[in-house]
Amino acid sequence: MARRFYINSNGRIRRKENTLYFEREIDGEIEKKALPINDIDSIYIFGEININTKALNFLAQNDIPLHIFNYYGYYSGSFLPRKKNVSGSLIVEQVKHHIDNQKRQYLAISFIEGAVYHILRNLRKNGINKDDYQDIEKELFPKIFKTKTPEELMAIEGNIRDKYYQLFNKIIENENFYIEKRDKRPPSNPINALISFGNTLMYNTVLTEIYRTQLEPTISYLHSPQEKRFSLSLDLAEIFKPFIVDPIIFSLINNQVISLNDFDTDLNYAYLNEEGRKKFLKAYEEKLAKTIKHRKLKRKVSYKQLIRLECYKLIKHFIEDEDYKPFKAWW
Amino acid sequence: MYVIVTYDITDDKRLNKVRKVLKKYLYWCQLSTFEGEISEGKLEKCKSEIFDIINFEEDSIYFFEVKNPKNIVKKVIGIEKNYMDNIL
Amino acid sequence: MEDINFEELKTNGIKINYYYVCKRKLWLFDRKISMELSDRMILGQIVHQESYKRDKPKEVLIDNLISIDIVDNLNIREVKLSDKMALADKMQILYYLYYLKKLGINKKGIINYPRLRKREFLELTEKDEKEIEKTLIEINKILKSEKPPPVINSPICKKCSYFEFCYA
Repeated sequence: MARRFYINSNGRIRRKENTLYFEREIDGEIEKKALPINDIDSIYIFGEININTKALNFLAQNDIPLHIFNYYGYYSGSFLPRKKNVSGSLIVEQVKHHIDNQKRQYLAISFIEGAVYHILRNLRKNGINKDDYQDIEKELFPKIFKTKTPEELMAIEGNIRDKYYQLFNKIIENENFYIEKRDKRPPSNPINALISFGNTLMYNTVLTEIYRTQLEPTISYLHSPQEKRFSLSLDLAEIFKPFIVDPIIFSLINNQVISLNDFDTDLNYAYLNEEGRKKFLKAYEEKLAKTIKHRKLKRKVSYKQLIRLECYKLIKHFIEDEDYKPFKAWW
Repeated sequence: MYVIVTYDITDDKRLNKVRKVLKKYLYWCQLSTFEGEISEGKLEKCKSEIFDIINFEEDSIYFFEVKNPKNIVKKVIGIEKNYMDNIL
Repeated sequence: MEDINFEELKTNGIKINYYYVCKRKLWLFDRKISMELSDRMILGQIVHQESYKRDKPKEVLIDNLISIDIVDNLNIREVKLSDKMALADKMQILYYLYYLKKLGINKKGIINYPRLRKREFLELTEKDEKEIEKTLIEINKILKSEKPPPVINSPICKKCSYFEFCYA
């Protein structure tokens, strides 16, 4: 229930006794804001912030991760406090599922299955004509279950994603945001900047949830562990990107919340400026707080909590308790 | 649950200590008032910390507790401060 | 019943407690698959701290395995939030008495429920000793199993910190 804090302005994070303060200068005066340490889930830093070890130690004591982004909203890295709840035996099981090709492929396919399910859900919910995506649904999707390696799987997934992004233009009602092609490094236009920023947030939210469990975030299945440090977070984020991030993008554009004024460009580089970022973050927070009645738990869970449940399902898979089935929004 | 805490504390030293405890859990909104969403366990912990500080003969602290945060409707006259923002 | 190999089977008090609450919880706890502090756990800690302030018992850690509050020459004590898990709490303190007896120390036990203004007094009987020995053997068997025991589908699940884990 604790909250994420996103710091966009420049300033300082300071610990004074057992209080954490964020200080910033507004009109020549220092504004001091106490952040209740028991109400912080994680901190995302986009601004220029000074912080010292005294403050970092305080965050560590309270198991609060700090995620840092550069000026363009690109992820730089995280301060993840030493985990207190590690389970050696679970890590051993996680490794076993990685080195056994069949077991690894089972999980890799499951993540893509969850991703494509939500891709199709988005297309359906946004009134796209069935004929326009039947190649995804009828041709490409069934193929993923026959793949033998993550590379083969990634190739089909790439195909699906290309077709999906082309259909973005039928959902988006503002031609300034039409997608020509998806490019990431760097995003060349506003729509690519939105997708990249959203995916980055998702990655960090998933990482924070993984961090709260005994899962080892560096051991992954779809993505190669060599690719990025916390590749399990990339794996799980696949399922949640189309479920959480893409609908935010459609609604920000189609409801005219976001416009070209919310972006800055550098040569052929587009990124959200501070105003744009804040609009996105607000929509992201609202989305994560949305709730749905869970069918098995028989209680309301937030979208954020669904990510945690996915971590639990993975753990249960590893300890041979229950086979992992990816989350599929059932409503 | 949602809680609004108001306090009357006669001694400055104790007042400071109580405020420091509240700052760990809730948001300072106006003079002698804190508020915020909090779990039952954390609220109990907060109370037990305050328990050790206050003078039961002189001080008083009120906790207005609302089980479902959705039942709180806040109407503001005058300046609305955004002390609970998490996008800074 | 023949003598059990206590040195090999001895364990900590929480595992005895969990054995009577939920064998799945016991297995998960043993594999260090733990959950974040739940509200109930926080409340339990507070109750413990509060009574600690009042009575100032002597806390003793034995064999790095069990930690016991000794209140006076005669009694050891355990503080609990509620009596919902009365059997498990009782067995936990009986286990401590059993453990101490193995070390040649004879004590009696008290379970304190400060929030219920209630106390329970316990003495180790021969029947209890047999029960504890049987339990130690059972715990050993459960923990050796590769897979966790199944979900128990009990009304107590709803208040357990593993609820979301088990039913996700």
